Amino acid sequence: MATLLDLKSIHKSYGAVQALNGVSLTVREGEVLAICGDNGAGKSTLIKIVSGAEAATSGQVFLRGKEVHFASPADALACGVATIYQDLALAPRLQVYQNIFMGAELTRATFIPFLRILDKKKMSQAAADYLGRLNIEIKDMKAPVASLSGGQRQAVAISRALRWQASLVIMDEPTAALGVRETAQVLDLIRQLHDQAVTIIIISHNMEDVVAVATRIVILKNGLKLGECLTENLTAAELSRMIALGDLGDRNIIRQTAVE
Amino acid sequence: MKCKKIGLARTAALMAVFFLTTTQAFAGDFKLGIVVTAMSSETHARTAHAAEETARKLGWDVTILDSQANVQKIVSNLENLAQAKVNAILVCMGKPVETEAGLAAVSKAGTPMISVMSGTSPHVMFDITVNEYEVGAEAALYLLGQLNYQGHILTQRYESHVGTRIRGKILDVVLAENLAVKVIGSHTMAKTKSWREDVRKGMEALLLQNQGKFQGIWASFDAQAFIIDDLLQAQGHKKGDIVMVSIDGGQETFRRIRDPNSLLTASVFIPFEAMGKKAVELMDQIVNKGDKKEELVTGPYLFLDALMIDKYNAPPEGEWPKM
Amino acid sequence: MTEKYQNFLRRYGTALGGLALFIFFAIAAENFLNPSNLLNVLKQISFLTILAIGFSFALTTSELDLSFATVGSLACVVAGGLIYHQFSPILAIAAGLFAGLAAGVINGLIVTRLKVPSLIGTLAVSSIATGVSFWITGGVAFVGRWADAFLFLGRGQLVGIPVLVFWTLIIAVFSLFVLKQTRIGIHMIFTGENDEAARLGGIPTQKMKVLGLSISGLTAGFTGVLLASTLSSADPTAADGFMLTAIAAVLLGMTMIEPGHPNVPGSLIGALTIGILSNGLILMGVEYYVQDIILGMIIIASVSVSASTITKAAFSV
Ligand SMILES: Nc1ncnc2c1ncn2[C@@H]1O[C@H](COP(=O)(O)OP(=O)(O)OP(=O)(O)O)[C@@H](O)[C@H]1O
Ligand SMILES: [Mg+2]
Repeated sequence: MATLLDLKSIHKSYGAVQALNGVSLTVREGEVLAICGDNGAGKSTLIKIVSGAEAATSGQVFLRGKEVHFASPADALACGVATIYQDLALAPRLQVYQNIFMGAELTRATFIPFLRILDKKKMSQAAADYLGRLNIEIKDMKAPVASLSGGQRQAVAISRALRWQASLVIMDEPTAALGVRETAQVLDLIRQLHDQAVTIIIISHNMEDVVAVATRIVILKNGLKLGECLTENLTAAELSRMIALGDLGDRNIIRQTAVE
Repeated sequence: MKCKKIGLARTAALMAVFFLTTTQAFAGDFKLGIVVTAMSSETHARTAHAAEETARKLGWDVTILDSQANVQKIVSNLENLAQAKVNAILVCMGKPVETEAGLAAVSKAGTPMISVMSGTSPHVMFDITVNEYEVGAEAALYLLGQLNYQGHILTQRYESHVGTRIRGKILDVVLAENLAVKVIGSHTMAKTKSWREDVRKGMEALLLQNQGKFQGIWASFDAQAFIIDDLLQAQGHKKGDIVMVSIDGGQETFRRIRDPNSLLTASVFIPFEAMGKKAVELMDQIVNKGDKKEELVTGPYLFLDALMIDKYNAPPEGEWPKM
Repeated sequence: MTEKYQNFLRRYGTALGGLALFIFFAIAAENFLNPSNLLNVLKQISFLTILAIGFSFALTTSELDLSFATVGSLACVVAGGLIYHQFSPILAIAAGLFAGLAAGVINGLIVTRLKVPSLIGTLAVSSIATGVSFWITGGVAFVGRWADAFLFLGRGQLVGIPVLVFWTLIIAVFSLFVLKQTRIGIHMIFTGENDEAARLGGIPTQKMKVLGLSISGLTAGFTGVLLASTLSSADPTAADGFMLTAIAAVLLGMTMIEPGHPNVPGSLIGALTIGILSNGLILMGVEYYVQDIILGMIIIASVSVSASTITKAAFSV
């Protein structure tokens, strides 16, 4: 499989806090890569750098072999990298379709150049279509997001990635705070995306989920990459133990790169 | 929960409106509307209340409307009174040029209008006022006379109001003829809500800077003089050390002039109460008794006399000068 | 059924209250229903309404603008000063609008670049605007008989209806269109709703905040120009008095249509209610201070409903 994303020696510090200490990793096209690790390991920080929400202190990001510098989430989105954040980043009072198209509305031009009219009908239809592709039923595209269930909200957030026609979708703890049924629904969503040849990076503390959907796992600790392993024949318990011990043993398929 | 709160808030607001409106509606046959530029100004309020009192004695219904120093609000108050079809309107310390639109609306509705200390307008029968030029001259000459036409003075001016500006200009004229009296320090008050603080700071600096070098102080209106008086007293000055003259008059002014500790020497008393009273009496004569305006007042102005008050003629507590 | 009814009451209760007030005055206040009086009310609330709509744009992006009233005065003085000195009305109007817009942009930059909370930043700009107004005028209003073309802006009538009423309607309709139907509008709403989410979604939230405050400045500028024209004079405090009533109109508007959030129809009805109240009370001969007391109560009652939006705007950077 071709390499989609290549991170080289990413460092990130917040003042005195070293959140990332030189992480390098490769994401291949079509895979579902899970990033695991304890609280504060640097998972969210890493994906914020990929999604353009934060700038790395040093290091390089290559997308399809070309170096990129995302100054904002909008830059990343334009390159097909969409991120679904831990807190979903929705506006609860606003409607389903408005949230799906947040920042990327379908519009028509008016005689005033900067005043573009919203094409509400087209957006609602497209929104229903995206949700349909994810096998999610939300009847009213005009319902406020606040009235949806957790799983439905996750679907709204993921639909946004479809709207962007993203080739890489990053999800930060998509199943946190969800019930059993809704978690299953979200895992299903991820499989749907995977089937549509979308590359996915997922962060999760739920080992069952990771083992269920991921094809490969990267484990971080204290801003460093401990190693990588494949999910074939891996049990959730085994994965938990690896994270807790901070050692992948002979499951490790890559050596930790030297710390700069 | 929130729903309940909204309901509660609305009920409270509505109840308040109904309560307040039903308690004080127009009841009599003759309705007088008084439009005041700023009830927060003591002189405006004194004029309005004197007029109100006189009108109530005549059995009239009176509404005072405050414009909160907002020109547009003067206009809308006038327009609303015209719509209310009141029988007469009194404008206190108005601004006829700026509020021409409102005055025109009233005169179009045929409502007779008299103004007090406003200046003239074709829509108003006449303006009752004192001659500010004369008032300014009296204050200036009193001050210079007390100083025997020589020495140094400090001035506290206010240029954003017609009356006080005229007083200042007249002082300048008088000083231009009497070169032995020199202004060695002057502070101009800014037009802000915190003008008292402005006067206090400005004068405090001038007093310190010129300590012992001045014999007289001129203030453009009494409330400024009170602040300066307090500063001087705090600095240990005694009555007679310095001659301080101002303009407006009123119970607090008279009290200070009588007070052996105060530095306020004299003030030109402007008969605000008398003007308010006179306005209502003349309105009654013209509108209800059929007298002709021309027979009562010649020209656009009716001038009342202002009176120089110092310790020799200051009225006792609670009384007013005999004019 | 009851839920539907409750929801209806939540959205339109205040408007119904306004209607009740209207009916009350229609019965209790003589001359209230006169067409000339009703037009009078519409004309009088125009300044208030335009300022309120501008303020609600800023509030939509979750920023307070406490400078609009004095900025309005500044624009009034700028436009009036140019007219007074015989410049062309077009230039005077443009300069007045520009003064308002410039103040709004400065507000926006102070809030977004210098990270000063809008509660404080706009208050500071308000003070500066007052200072400049007094600097320009020396405290003395520009007065005179000004060009008819300029006076028409605020005093004219079209088919028997004051031009001011048309200005208000045009601005209200256009604002509603921008907020509800255009991309810029929804981007401003997203910015106010969830700043971080909007930013992550690729919306330039800082620019939207600058835009919200700029619109508030621009409408304040327009109000100032209208005031100069209506009054045929320019006083350095001409619009200062609208501060509290305009905010009250917006707050009252936030108790209806979209409860808890600034909205144009709500602001319009809010301003109308305040205008009716003031006019009705005067027609009934109620003393002046009653209006202030009621205005204060309206503000408290309204904010108790929409406190979260206001506090967010007031205290977030
Ligand atoms: N904006 C910030 N300012 C300062 N420190 C930060 C900031 N964001 C993250 N950090 C710090 O960087 C480190 C890594 O944080 P990060 O959020 O990436 O962890 P994480 O692996 O996502 O943890 P979790 O599983 O709890 O979400 C932590 O020590 C965190 O406190
Ligand atoms: Mg995290």
